[in-house]
Amino acid sequence: MDTYRPPIGTSVENLDTPLFVVDMDSLEHNFRVVAEAYKNSSCKMREHAKNIKTPFLARMQIEAGGTVGGVCCAKVSEAEAMFLGGITDILIPNQIVSEDKIVRLCGLARRGDIKVCVDSLKNVRDISDISVRERVTIGVLIEINTGMDRAGIRTIEEGVELARIISELPGIEFRGVMSHQHLYGHPTRDERYLEGAKMIQICLDVKKAIEDDGIPVEIVSSGETWSYDLARDIGGITEVEGGTYALMGTSAKHMGMFKYAGKVLASVISTPRPDFAIGDVGSRGLAVGGSLIPDVDGLSGVTVESIASEQIVLKSDGEMPLKIGDKFMLNPGYQDGLVNQWDRFVGIRNGLVEGVWDIPGRGCFH
Amino acid sequence: METPILKPIGTPVEQLDTPSLILDLSVLERNIEYMHSFFCDKDVTLRPNVSTHLCPAIAHKQVAAGGTSGGICVTTVGQAEIFAESGFTDLFLTTVTVTPLKIVRLCALALSANITLAADNIHAVRGISEIALSKNVKLDVVVEINSGLDMCGVEPGYPALELAKVIHESPSLNFAGLMTDHGLLNHMDTNNLSDEIHRCIGDVIETKNIIEKDGLSVDKVSVGGTTGFDVVSEIEEVTEIRAGSYALLDGTYSTFEPQFGVAARVMTTVTSLPEVGIIITDGGGKSIGSEWGNPSVDNLTDVTVQGLSAEHVNLRRSLDIVDVPSIGSKVWFTPSDMRTCSNLHDYFFGVRGGILETVWNISARGRYR
Repeated sequence: MDTYRPPIGTSVENLDTPLFVVDMDSLEHNFRVVAEAYKNSSCKMREHAKNIKTPFLARMQIEAGGTVGGVCCAKVSEAEAMFLGGITDILIPNQIVSEDKIVRLCGLARRGDIKVCVDSLKNVRDISDISVRERVTIGVLIEINTGMDRAGIRTIEEGVELARIISELPGIEFRGVMSHQHLYGHPTRDERYLEGAKMIQICLDVKKAIEDDGIPVEIVSSGETWSYDLARDIGGITEVEGGTYALMGTSAKHMGMFKYAGKVLASVISTPRPDFAIGDVGSRGLAVGGSLIPDVDGLSGVTVESIASEQIVLKSDGEMPLKIGDKFMLNPGYQDGLVNQWDRFVGIRNGLVEGVWDIPGRGCFH
Repeated sequence: METPILKPIGTPVEQLDTPSLILDLSVLERNIEYMHSFFCDKDVTLRPNVSTHLCPAIAHKQVAAGGTSGGICVTTVGQAEIFAESGFTDLFLTTVTVTPLKIVRLCALALSANITLAADNIHAVRGISEIALSKNVKLDVVVEINSGLDMCGVEPGYPALELAKVIHESPSLNFAGLMTDHGLLNHMDTNNLSDEIHRCIGDVIETKNIIEKDGLSVDKVSVGGTTGFDVVSEIEEVTEIRAGSYALLDGTYSTFEPQFGVAARVMTTVTSLPEVGIIITDGGGKSIGSEWGNPSVDNLTDVTVQGLSAEHVNLRRSLDIVDVPSIGSKVWFTPSDMRTCSNLHDYFFGVRGGILETVWNISARGRYR
């Protein structure tokens, strides 16, 4: 674990590097955009905690408004981290299958409103059996595949059949349906609306069929940062699982209403050739999963040439403007992974440290 | 912090919480035995690069196996602090260090350990020199040479000589020699490997000769990399080989270093079988890593990795596969890059014969600074 805790008020120039910093103005801007977007809508944000892993940040969004008052968590241990941070309304949009983990989930369900997603009969039966034994009730939503071809039921019939079984079994309560969507590249607003509507319709069709079968559907959870606006505009969606928008990353740069808030501060350690500079952070501190390469913040003509474990090579299309010892900021590509690489982040405003906060969900992949 | 359900020693591995980084202790011991016994009767010493595993327990096993000078190498000051705390007293920091706060920390470490560090520019040397002088410590500094990797490193020959002279003339510094990373990895045609190594190291040896002709002694010629360690060890002028990947291996090195075995793998659980031909497990980018390519699947045949998202592995299997896993069964992965993977975890679960024997802390995880 890292032990660096710069004093409040330290100027950015005096911070040691590499460091995960959060621009508080940009973060608050992003939370305001979401609060405003859902202000007069029945659709609300349920922020995805895997992108922030910090209860304090989730509470900032809840206080700003526009939310259901709870979060999504990818894993049971991540849910525990958020629960310990005071958030008790949690949806796990993922399958929890092993007995150990279901028992752990039951522990949270004793004191919170805990919901988990399923896509198989075996999983439904296991959760029912264990929650009966543990004397708790776990909320259950059906995950629907809307194009990612990952988990999720594939047909309307499967969804209706599963909903019937869930409503009949003890220890669990049918709460609704959920789906993720992914759109590659950097689509325009029109492309987002067109593609997003198609994907979300698959989810809405399953919802309607379950309701037609006489089973009420309370929650329709769908969407991501890229569809936060269209999910609201389509109607029928009750909550959106947005995550990237809070800290942002270059993978979502087409979502220009959000600002880059999470960044990595680095220093130049070497300039071995005139148009090159080597920085003191690499793939371990940046996370570059799926070849999502960061951008150099505010330096035009300077791009990332290559990345090693602890170093980054920058190339300039002219003379390198950075000298040895200079600091620079990187906007992450894989924001989700970035948060998972750090034990704490340093909040900055107007060039000064405003706070140093732990990231309790870091490494919570169990 | 990784917060798995921790099971007692003696638990069968398949009952451990997932995803977890499982270390096969027998394979680890064989890898260490093979590598270290190779160096036991040689003049050239092995300096384990512990940044690949970040785990003091493994580093102690490496040094205990012989063939070293007792020293290890690290890639950040934060790693150096962790390994010093764990009892190591000969630490070589191979990353150029320029920020004053880090140099101050290195000087503090130098009061109780032998610290060697790399430099490739005068700016860094001046900063280190001034702070070491004010802290009244003497640091060993080696000049890093670019032998073709085009990361850090001064050009061989006279640029390196100039830097060596500046180090030598600094009262708080001792010019200790030269280092390079040949960086010849997976993309190499092994037939050319020996030629390439001799070309890279030839530049360093020529530099050594130039510096010695100028009257400075070059005590250390340190060459980095597991790849081609046997070829490098035959070169008379090389005094030490820095290697790390041999201990645990990974998907990238296993192709090129068949004499070692994969010791660390990630065990995951099948969470969804949504349609015939698709298997979803609870690993992903946050527990396996895909920085240098997808991981490989170890215990299923006719299965390919379609992709990793943060918390899912999406597998595709051929439709005529006989042995179909069920929800809850385990799928094992060899990560493509162990440096990424070890840094994602807080624990190695050490297993022998399928039984949990020990849990080791990955204490230097997250120490980027």
